[in-house]
Amino acid sequence: MTLKDKRSADIEIILSKYPTKRSAVMPLLYLAQEEYGYCSDEAIREVADLTALDPTEVKSVVGFYTMFFEEKTGQYVIEVCDDLPCALKGADAFVHHCERKLGVRAGQTTPDGKFTLRTVMCIAACDRAPVAQVNREYRYSLTPDGFDKMVDELKGTV
Amino acid sequence: MADLINLTIDGIPVAVPRGMVIVDAAKKIDNDIPVFCYHPKLKPVGMCRMCLVDVGTPKIDPATKQVVRTEDGKPVIAWMPKLQTACTTPVSEGMAVRTNTKQVLDARNNVLEFLLTSHPLDCPICDKGGECPLQNLTLAHGPGLSRFEYEAKQHNAKHVPLGDLIFLDRERCIQCSRCIRFQDDVADDHVLQFHDRGRHMEIVTFSDPPFDSYFGGNTTDICPVGALTTADFRFKARPWELDSTPSVCTHCPVGCNISLNTRLETRTGGHEIKRVMPRQNEQVNEIWTCDKGRFVHHFTRAEDRLTHPLVRDARGKLVESTWEAALQLVADKARGARVSGVIGDRIANEDAHLFGSLFSDVLKDGAVAMSPAIPAAYADIARAYGVGKDTDFKQLGKGDTILVVNGDLEESAPVWFLRLRQAVVDRGAKLVIAHDRSSKMHRYASRIVTYELGMAAHWASEQTTELSAELKSARNVLIVFGDEKLSAEGARSLARSLANILIESGHAGKANSGLLPLYPHANTQGVFDMLPATTVTTGKVDVAWLVGVGNAADVPQADFTVVQELFLTDIANNADVVLPALSFAERDGSFTSGDRRVQRFYRALPGLGQGKPDWWIIQEVAKRLGATWQYHGTSEVFAQMAQHNPYYAGLSYETLSQAEPQWPPVGRADLYYGGTAYDNSGGIGSRYAAPAEQSGFNSSLEPVVAPPVDMEALQHLPHTLYQDGELIRRSKVLSGHVRAQRKEAETA
Amino acid sequence: MSSVRDILSRLGGIPVGFATVFKTFFRKPVTVQYPEKQKPMSARFRGRHHLKRYDDGLEKCIGCALCAAACPSDAIYVEAAENNNDKRFSPGERYAKTYEINMLRCIFCGYCEDACPTNAIILEPIEFPTGYTREGMIYTKDKLLEPAPAGVQGTPQATPAGKFERAILPFPPIDVSV
Repeated sequence: MTLKDKRSADIEIILSKYPTKRSAVMPLLYLAQEEYGYCSDEAIREVADLTALDPTEVKSVVGFYTMFFEEKTGQYVIEVCDDLPCALKGADAFVHHCERKLGVRAGQTTPDGKFTLRTVMCIAACDRAPVAQVNREYRYSLTPDGFDKMVDELKGTV
Repeated sequence: MADLINLTIDGIPVAVPRGMVIVDAAKKIDNDIPVFCYHPKLKPVGMCRMCLVDVGTPKIDPATKQVVRTEDGKPVIAWMPKLQTACTTPVSEGMAVRTNTKQVLDARNNVLEFLLTSHPLDCPICDKGGECPLQNLTLAHGPGLSRFEYEAKQHNAKHVPLGDLIFLDRERCIQCSRCIRFQDDVADDHVLQFHDRGRHMEIVTFSDPPFDSYFGGNTTDICPVGALTTADFRFKARPWELDSTPSVCTHCPVGCNISLNTRLETRTGGHEIKRVMPRQNEQVNEIWTCDKGRFVHHFTRAEDRLTHPLVRDARGKLVESTWEAALQLVADKARGARVSGVIGDRIANEDAHLFGSLFSDVLKDGAVAMSPAIPAAYADIARAYGVGKDTDFKQLGKGDTILVVNGDLEESAPVWFLRLRQAVVDRGAKLVIAHDRSSKMHRYASRIVTYELGMAAHWASEQTTELSAELKSARNVLIVFGDEKLSAEGARSLARSLANILIESGHAGKANSGLLPLYPHANTQGVFDMLPATTVTTGKVDVAWLVGVGNAADVPQADFTVVQELFLTDIANNADVVLPALSFAERDGSFTSGDRRVQRFYRALPGLGQGKPDWWIIQEVAKRLGATWQYHGTSEVFAQMAQHNPYYAGLSYETLSQAEPQWPPVGRADLYYGGTAYDNSGGIGSRYAAPAEQSGFNSSLEPVVAPPVDMEALQHLPHTLYQDGELIRRSKVLSGHVRAQRKEAETA
Repeated sequence: MSSVRDILSRLGGIPVGFATVFKTFFRKPVTVQYPEKQKPMSARFRGRHHLKRYDDGLEKCIGCALCAAACPSDAIYVEAAENNNDKRFSPGERYAKTYEINMLRCIFCGYCEDACPTNAIILEPIEFPTGYTREGMIYTKDKLLEPAPAGVQGTPQATPAGKFERAILPFPPIDVSV
């Protein structure tokens, strides 16, 4: 089943918002990511088809933006900022703690498929660092204990 | 060109056209501002920061709006607070540029140091080493030491194939985007892009098949480092070991100027073509060539090249013979016999001229024809109303109309596609396409006409009046046409209708206007020009003499068949005498391109085995038949031909080998813009005037009745670039594409 | 009175000559019975070329042909080819498929040694190139390449992926402290 079959109404709405098809590439990629969990090769080709772009151009867009995933991610994607202001507030040590807690390195997914830990560039919350985005939801002023609690909670709720 | 801008560069005054960027202006006074991302054939982006210079403009008094001057009357220069990129800054009146201040030199040094932080410095095994702009500019402007540790460098797995023709080495890439911009802006195949960002940025292709483009080889030329290399040349030789011989590509009517890079090779016990490079000729191919021209050279040293004359013996087998015996046998058979000669359209002008003379002057009862036969039916019209002598595709733009009828430009003449596409997309020429199927050129058309299969001639004859009226207002009209799905009569009818359109709209015999035929090979026009008009013999003849016809379908039936060929083709295998000829790389000669430009090619390789050039073979037989020919080389044949052939009057090897400085300069001693689009030292050739341009030529309309659709012609496969043939089949890197296209054609 | 010196001087150089003969008579000769015997050479004497190997048996030569470029007498001929992990000759992507030195042309200047980025070619003071034919004086790769170290497989070898990615090994970091 292709994206077009499954979400044709949404695709129509997105395409109708833009003067040219190619402008719709990012919303369509979000749609594809929502549907497939990540921007798979097939998803990229489908979006290229919808926007009349070459697949290479869509691939480039996916590669440029950090919030498009090219590989299968866990159920929860935890993105910790380790840019300079966050690093000054101990983000590096915090990332190490996250790695120990989850048992994977930054950029990897836990074997149970629950969590993906990533480090990212600035997510515009330096005043409340260390900060993480969990499935696009911000968690501010994180402490190791707070992180552990959050992870356990997320595990428990599922 | 009156709109000139005056500026000074390092105090030296220079006047250049408005809109030119500082880098190009500096080139005018031989000041080579170093660049990586800038390329004169691509749009500037200012990514690499290598070209930083100090720029100032005359200071304007805000109150009086006048230029502030010093006491001695010189304008006061207001220098910009920071260095500017010379590749994106257009010149302006009174501008001053400094390229040798300490600030500029430091900037270059620092940019290079940064570029090298992640460069692997594996120059000894890099194919670009020796002709690499990064090497050259580092030596000229860069630091001798790095403050960065080797281990801190970006290390990536080596050698990622981008398609089967081009390899990517991600470590060497300096992210200048020349390859991406070439594919986007020039080739219009958007198959290369950046992926990820920052230090992880790399070139990717995601098309299917990967790097799906006919022009990919050009990206390796313009790559300023060794990041892109071809599968063909990979590790084959170091650039400084190569001998470069000017030549002309033989595969399509464009006649791209190429350089054959040769080197000693132990396997073949002699020289071998290591790579084919485009040679700059702004009138023909600029600095490009297609992948077919670049990668179909392996046939010159194929294992199965014919090396000895073969003669059929008493038991009916082809056995090796001597030249003396074979030539004598041919002469004996041809003497007094009814001979039918066929000559292929890749054969040089000189060979064709002698072959034509053989039939008109020496043989008593003979007829000569060109293979393939269909182009011969309309080549006289294409010549008479061909593009004017002073045609320059670069001048086509706004107000001009390009009409493409019954042909696929990209498949049949790839470099014309690039150049005419730019006339439409970049300079605003109007494109009208009439064809029975879709092609890449359709993307840019402002009007598309689709007719039924094989109905091109009908369409053209019916539309003549209407189109002529429409085209009357156009500044120039260029009509590109092919002979797909048409019989000889159909193709002739189409050409005649198109000529009528030119005449009726008032564009016949003008520069930048005219017919541009999509001939099958490089010398279709030339061979046609050389041959005398003889009536084609029908039925069985005594002797069939076939020169370089490949696997042509239309060869005459004969009791005795002579074949001059490179390989033992099916036709040669059934012949009675097979004479080994030399390929274009092993001899001198000239070709006449589809737009009637006569160009010389030169001998790059020694001959293989006992092979001889075709003109020599023809002369030797003619001598045995009583001719008094005494040609010692192709230049003498050409001189004799030019005396008798009115179209070629005034041309000689000297005029053809004259080169003139090309703009933009991309070669120069230090291989300035990277790649190896070498300086053109072999001559830019010369286009002979179309008859319609000459006074006294009667450009009159001729009524056309399109012949009925030819069912046999409908079976012809449409022309594709990699269509199967004796030469491309022997390419070591393209044979996969040939198979793919064959399969595609079969299933279609 | 005639001293011994006078007598000797009257006799001319004869006794002096005999004395020299007698003195040298008991000395070892300076000539050697080459090629049965060979004189020891200076450690830095430039004899014939050897293509070296790493301890793991891989060839140091990467086929870059810089030796051929540096050679003032154009005596070296190199053709390169591509390595793969199943058939690996040298670290990195490239190796010398053909490597020939024309010993008749070579002037033993050692520029090839200087040019070599991997120290693969060394002119060693052992064994001098001699021969009876011109063809025999063209030393091919099998003659030039030194044997693999004892107990180690020669080339080509099958090697694990990713282990020998780089042709040129890193230089030690340069100390830029002032």
